[in-house]
Amino acid sequence: MSWRYAVRRIAQLVPTVAAILLASFLLIRLAPGDPVLALAGEHGDAEYYAFMREKFGLDEPLHQQLLTYASNVLTADFGVSYVQGRPVLDVLLERLPATLLLTGTALLLSTTVGLLAGMFTATRRRRWPDLTVSGVLLTLYATPVFWLGQLAILGLALGAGWFPVQGMTTAGSDATGLARIADVAHHLALPAIVLASQEIAAVGRLTRVGLRDELDSDHVRLARAKGLAERVVVVKYGLRRALSPVVTVIGGRIGHLVAGAVIIEVVFGWPGLGRLLVTSMQNRDVPIVLGVFLLVAIAVVVANLITDLCYTWLDPRVRYR
Amino acid sequence: MAQRSAHVRSTITAITATAALLAASCAADESGPAAPQGDGEPTKGGTLVVAISSDPDHLNPAITTSGATHTASELLYNGLVRLDEQGTPQPELAESWEVTEDGARYTFALRDDVTWHDGESFTSADVKFAFEEVLLKYHSRTQASLGEALTAIETPDEQTVEFVFDEPYGPLLQQLDVTEAPIVAEHVYEGTDPLENPANTEPIGTGPFTLESYQPDAEIRFTANEDYFKADLPYLDGVVMRVIPEESNQVVALESGEVQWLWGVPGPDLERLRADGRFEFLETSVNPGGANCIMTVAFNLDRPMFDDVDTRRGIALAIDKQQFLDRVQFGQGKVAEAPISSGISFAHADDLDDMPSYDPDEAARLLDEAGWVREGDGTRTAQGVDGVKDGTPLSFDFLHFSTFADYGELFRAQLAKIGAEVELRSMEPPVFVEKVFTEREFDTNVISYCNGNDPEIGVKRMYLSSNIGPVPFSNAAGYRNTEVDTLFEEARTTIGDEERKEAYRRLQEALVADLPYTWLVETTANRVYHSRCRGFSHSGHFAEAAYCDEG
Repeated sequence: MSWRYAVRRIAQLVPTVAAILLASFLLIRLAPGDPVLALAGEHGDAEYYAFMREKFGLDEPLHQQLLTYASNVLTADFGVSYVQGRPVLDVLLERLPATLLLTGTALLLSTTVGLLAGMFTATRRRRWPDLTVSGVLLTLYATPVFWLGQLAILGLALGAGWFPVQGMTTAGSDATGLARIADVAHHLALPAIVLASQEIAAVGRLTRVGLRDELDSDHVRLARAKGLAERVVVVKYGLRRALSPVVTVIGGRIGHLVAGAVIIEVVFGWPGLGRLLVTSMQNRDVPIVLGVFLLVAIAVVVANLITDLCYTWLDPRVRYR
Repeated sequence: MAQRSAHVRSTITAITATAALLAASCAADESGPAAPQGDGEPTKGGTLVVAISSDPDHLNPAITTSGATHTASELLYNGLVRLDEQGTPQPELAESWEVTEDGARYTFALRDDVTWHDGESFTSADVKFAFEEVLLKYHSRTQASLGEALTAIETPDEQTVEFVFDEPYGPLLQQLDVTEAPIVAEHVYEGTDPLENPANTEPIGTGPFTLESYQPDAEIRFTANEDYFKADLPYLDGVVMRVIPEESNQVVALESGEVQWLWGVPGPDLERLRADGRFEFLETSVNPGGANCIMTVAFNLDRPMFDDVDTRRGIALAIDKQQFLDRVQFGQGKVAEAPISSGISFAHADDLDDMPSYDPDEAARLLDEAGWVREGDGTRTAQGVDGVKDGTPLSFDFLHFSTFADYGELFRAQLAKIGAEVELRSMEPPVFVEKVFTEREFDTNVISYCNGNDPEIGVKRMYLSSNIGPVPFSNAAGYRNTEVDTLFEEARTTIGDEERKEAYRRLQEALVADLPYTWLVETTANRVYHSRCRGFSHSGHFAEAAYCDEG
């Protein structure tokens, strides 16, 4: 991997994030719905609304507001939430762990289960286990997460009673230490599985196709002819080369996971950034919405960068200039 | 202007355990069929788990009218008065009060045994500060209703506070409870921006509970205030408020025992929960975010189509309000009988001759007379309607919050029967507010106008001609009637419920004659709680005297 390439890619992040910031700002500010009207609720009078507009700088021209916001962001000042009256960064950092836990678990699940499912099906091609698992993967891939989430709540939480319906912990629970970890894990299981479902399918199907091609290739045939154990053949000679497109997908799908997390957090009452984003959109809490957009944009762009950089490690034939 | 001397003196006998017991038994008596278990004696201890629908964002009820914030924070604070179930002011932080002969000066004697949660003493300076620096700037209802009328707040000594007005001001006592005017501490907020003060999430109040912890969007924990000024209260050791956004999930949590109190339940679940036997019900029109709400259809009077009162009356007569109550509200509430809610008993007029009541034949006749002619079962068209081109169909839009979609569907179905075509436009609240009040881009809409505890709080704003413009939930119809403006002014500056009643009656007669709006149903909500718990009240201090048997 060329260092020059890495530096250039990192430098490209700046205009990308700036463009996302500009688009987000215009999108949310030009959308119908005045933040002060949303904030003040019923009963205020014109004097009250004028006072609040001035307080939040909403009486200034749009370009001035954009300039002020952008220059503040450069100094890591993301503003103050209109509704909560607290610095946006504090609010985001408060919610980030819950979202990281959910998306991180889903990413881990989708990668491991997806890879295992792909290997399982690729090594049993056209036999009934392959057809069954492939059918399940295809179904999962085509199922919207919000619907699957509702089904999971109905069937596994309400019906079977195996999982809690919503939230991150049991209401009023005083559990600490290991008991608390177990409680959170119990609450996390269902949303994480549902969120991971489409990604499991994507990774699984891609692994299956890639590995099948690799297992048909000459170098694998040679490895088998040398009498190597099948497990070594599959993992060392087949999987490593089949992983390149899978890694691309995993990196690219982090954005999907974050988007899915918004829905899953609402469906399962998970107290993360997704829920915060939805309520902040409803309240027209512009600083929070922009903060979440920016954070997610940076996460996705960085994930893609890491994916690109990982490429050369997985496939030394790839050379960037 | 009719004025009458008023001399109100209410000397506190404190809110003792006896009073709390009475309140407790009232709450239990009003509830559903399942009999409470246990001997009815309040027991100390235990934790009540409550479901709330959304995160409160912060816990300062003095800077917002948000229902979510008030629901979660009112247990932490007090008002100068509390309003009992009839809406009558009772002593709270103020133990008594006097009103001068001219009705323009209210003198409150404050309790001397109240301390803030951090141990500081509560004094009249706190009241003055809370009003002048917080409530009158940031609590939009208090600012809009009291701001203009109030001349000064004076504090002759630490235990006395006086509200001074230029002219008689009748509704003040209704505007001083914990929902309308929660008192925050001067020593906590002085010299800071109240919107950004850290105490908004680490509150210091005087209320029956103190904050233990606040996990945004997850859980809020309250602990009993050991130094609460009401003897023996609260009974509970703590309250936990759990954020459960989906109503259906709240019901599941109640049934599974995870929570013991819901602020409301979806209509379809109500009968099942009633039949269950484990739960009690408390039906009320009072909510922390606003009381005595009426679902109201506004006609945009700027539209030539609605210029003629016969057209508006024809449409109003075609609406079967009972169906809205039965099918949309699942019986929770009552058919609206007047422009002012029956929850404000002194101002509500219940026998108004012109109040529209379902009569499809009369509706058709009036629309024919107004020039909206129908052939067969088709849509009516204009023939000789002033300002409307002949042949124009009687077709208009109906804006509603997405949560009121059922109202839209039924409205469209009912009006189709008399040949009016309704196009539904569902939108989220900020967009609705902009379309209706800023751009005035609508023909009709439905709004839940909460009347509050006094017509000054939530009724006047809908009708004053000076209140048309880009202010949310103001005069949506664009109604202008100088007689009505004058009557509101008269009612505001009159002292005494009986005297004000007369002004409000004449005012309502004018409103039902003009029909700028049509009033559908007065909505209520059913609090549902586990029958092993009792002692709840309908107000923001719902759990102040609550207790639960071991379960």
